[in-house]
Amino acid sequence: MTLETTACVLAYMVLAYLGGAVAALLPLRPDLTRALSAAAAIGGAVAGIVLAARVLIGGAPFALTVPALLSVGGGLALRLDTLGAFFLILVGVVAAPAALYGAGYSRAYTGRYSLRWLGAMLNLFLLTMSVVTLADNVLTFVLAWEAMSLASYFLVMTEHERADTVAAGGWYLAMTHVGLALILSAFLLLVPPSGGGSFAELRGMAVTLSPSLRGVVFVLAVLGFGSKAGLVPLHVWLPRAHPAAPSHVSALMSGVMVKLGVYGILRVALDLLGVGPAWWGALLIGLGAASALVGVLYALMEDDLKRLLAYSSVENVGLIFIGVGAGLLFTSLREPAAAALALAAALYHALNHAVFKGLLFLGAGAVAHATGTRDMNRLGGLVRRLPWTAACFLVGALAIGGLPPFNGFVSEWLLFQSLLPAIGSSAPLVAPVMTLAVGALALTAGLAAAAFVKAFGITFLALPRSVEAREAHEATATMRASMVVLAALCALLGLGAAFVLPALGGIVAGYAGLPRVVPPLTAGALLLPPGGGASMSPSLVAIGLLLAMGAAWVAVRVGAARGLRVSDTWGCGRIGQTPRMEYTSTAYAEPLRRVFAELYRPTEDLTIDVHPESRYFVQSIAYRSEIVPWFERYVYGPLVRRVAAVAGRTRAIQSGSAHAYLAYLVVALLALLAISLAWSG
Amino acid sequence: MDSLFAQLVVLESSLALIFGLVLLWRRGVPAYVNAFTWQSIVLALVAATVAWFGRQRELYVVAALLVLLKVIAIPRLLARMERRFATERELAPYVNTATSLVVAGLLVLFGYAVMRPVVAASELPTRAAMPLAMGLVLVSLFVVVSRKKALTQVIGFLVLENGIALLALLGAYGIPLIVELGVFLDALMGFLVMQIFVYRIHETFETLDVDQLDRLRH
Repeated sequence: MTLETTACVLAYMVLAYLGGAVAALLPLRPDLTRALSAAAAIGGAVAGIVLAARVLIGGAPFALTVPALLSVGGGLALRLDTLGAFFLILVGVVAAPAALYGAGYSRAYTGRYSLRWLGAMLNLFLLTMSVVTLADNVLTFVLAWEAMSLASYFLVMTEHERADTVAAGGWYLAMTHVGLALILSAFLLLVPPSGGGSFAELRGMAVTLSPSLRGVVFVLAVLGFGSKAGLVPLHVWLPRAHPAAPSHVSALMSGVMVKLGVYGILRVALDLLGVGPAWWGALLIGLGAASALVGVLYALMEDDLKRLLAYSSVENVGLIFIGVGAGLLFTSLREPAAAALALAAALYHALNHAVFKGLLFLGAGAVAHATGTRDMNRLGGLVRRLPWTAACFLVGALAIGGLPPFNGFVSEWLLFQSLLPAIGSSAPLVAPVMTLAVGALALTAGLAAAAFVKAFGITFLALPRSVEAREAHEATATMRASMVVLAALCALLGLGAAFVLPALGGIVAGYAGLPRVVPPLTAGALLLPPGGGASMSPSLVAIGLLLAMGAAWVAVRVGAARGLRVSDTWGCGRIGQTPRMEYTSTAYAEPLRRVFAELYRPTEDLTIDVHPESRYFVQSIAYRSEIVPWFERYVYGPLVRRVAAVAGRTRAIQSGSAHAYLAYLVVALLALLAISLAWSG
Repeated sequence: MDSLFAQLVVLESSLALIFGLVLLWRRGVPAYVNAFTWQSIVLALVAATVAWFGRQRELYVVAALLVLLKVIAIPRLLARMERRFATERELAPYVNTATSLVVAGLLVLFGYAVMRPVVAASELPTRAAMPLAMGLVLVSLFVVVSRKKALTQVIGFLVLENGIALLALLGAYGIPLIVELGVFLDALMGFLVMQIFVYRIHETFETLDVDQLDRLRH
């Protein structure tokens, strides 16, 4: 456990990722390129987990500065504390299966898109995400953050021949740079006037700022990091960019990269700024609740499997932010035990979401790989053709739907337990905020379950709705293995909650307003949140469920023995049953489309062609229904038009004439000289 | 001794500036190449003068290199290009000769104004010539901006490089030899790259009129 060995592990991680990036670029055979870049990424991910585990177990932060690199900004400064270590583990846990999966998945790209570029960017993406969790000064952080954004942009653009990919990349690039500008402003406000950008100096500076300036820093950080995390209303890029990427990259972006937005807010709010006023937490709860609801409502309406998952990421990020907001609110109310529980629940959900959303994206990738389409209305019946994928996807869907005994159930239960006691709070405005948050949480959880009944049921059950679905084939062994690993993690994180939760409590211990030693949140196998009066044991719930399932199985067998009848399902009296008569994804969502018509504003277009002789003989019916993405239309539309207008005006100085450009240079030089002259004399 | 040194460098710098101004009132590339060659000779003389009076042995090497590169090598390459593009004359610059000279005069004045604080702070005997070098830098920039033909612009760039070298010689008795060598190499490479570009521009547009490049805009 010496410092040197920890530094060696860090060096191993960096070298593995860098080596993978370089090896991927070498002119090798395509399958060798795929294998090498995947192996390097897995090696780097494992090293990252080991590094983080050392810090988490040892408890002491690990720091390393290299002043010679990036000397202008105070050198390359790395420091891994418990908060960073948690997110580094998050990177590794999804990265290893995703890289393994990518080795098989990217075979389809051979000869069509650049495998070298994909492998190199994947390794760089993982490296920069890891460095973000390690960064200890502004320059290191911002550089790693920007490099991460660019690497993920290139990954999104892998299938660059598709028009919608290019459009998605454009949205992503614009939003991420707006976010970077906001993050940079937040950091620059915190840099002390004497200079120096280390986080320790920023912490010292934060104490001296006026409350309103601290509020500005907080809001800038929330907007900046929120744009990466996909917080409403900055989420518009996410449902475009995440599905456009190759599926293992989607898993990484949705599972891990959006969590780094959460990390950024926690780093600024909890660590750098310290205890803030109550409205900080309330703001995050409000944004989180809005994201959760908007995300899940749009997920329900989506027919594209990967877009559904992307919207669901917006929803889950919203849930995490409700937890984070509650944690900040409780720290400002000086209720450290409740704050620790809320933050631990938020981190738990972040970890769970990384695992099951990673799993679901890999499963959706396997479906797209097998059928060539992501449109659920063209899928169906895949449970027989892709049994492994179907089973793993089912585990992921149960977990994200919040059903026991999987991990999503535990973290959502904990979120409820952290919010419910505060409903009776006497502090002003806390009770209504918390009540609304609990309501939003409950509605979201229910709708999310419905969305994933649809995602699983329409995709995998019933009869195939197209030739592609009928001829689908199971995923390769590496792809199956990586999905099984993540599915097992879903179960483990649910069943082993009694071990995970205290560790998560330890992660937030010692940050602003939180006690150094967080009170135990568990008792034996029982989760025992403080102040709630409720307790739950996921492992006992699982045993109970198993017993009930066994009993049901026995009952069915006993009952079936009496009279087993095998026949078609009821067919409404029709003579022939074809897949065209099946319930579609759109049809499943129709009732909710009507309930939330105010939000969706659906446009319907029904055309009936009748026979010229008689209108009672219908020849064809065409029905189109689209929901209006009013956020994009009414908020972003005018904004984009205005920016384009301003950009068009600046185009005038871009004459294309080399002389004009040279003249700009000379005029700028003369002007600077004149200014310096006026200044000095 | 010092006053002789000061007078010599002022004389030589003035000559360098005048050769720079030749680019504004002569027409035709041969005249420009001549002016550049003479200016480079003067620059080598300045290096030698500073080396003698300032006891900077390294500067003799610099002077020798200047002669080799800028008095012999580059003018030859320029002459070869000129033979190739003999029909391309700088017939219509953006700014006519009279206006060009007035602007150049103003730029030299501006150079004096800009350098005043530096001259006031300097103790070197060469300080009086520094504004002239600054003037040369600004005038050559103006040449690059106001002339249409790529070949003229290349020469303008070379004169600009001379101006910077002159400023370095006067202001700091030259920069360390290793840096100077790097700068020489840089100038040579820059020149070669520009030569390639000139050929390519001519091939693509059948003219050396840089103005035509805005057809690349879409």
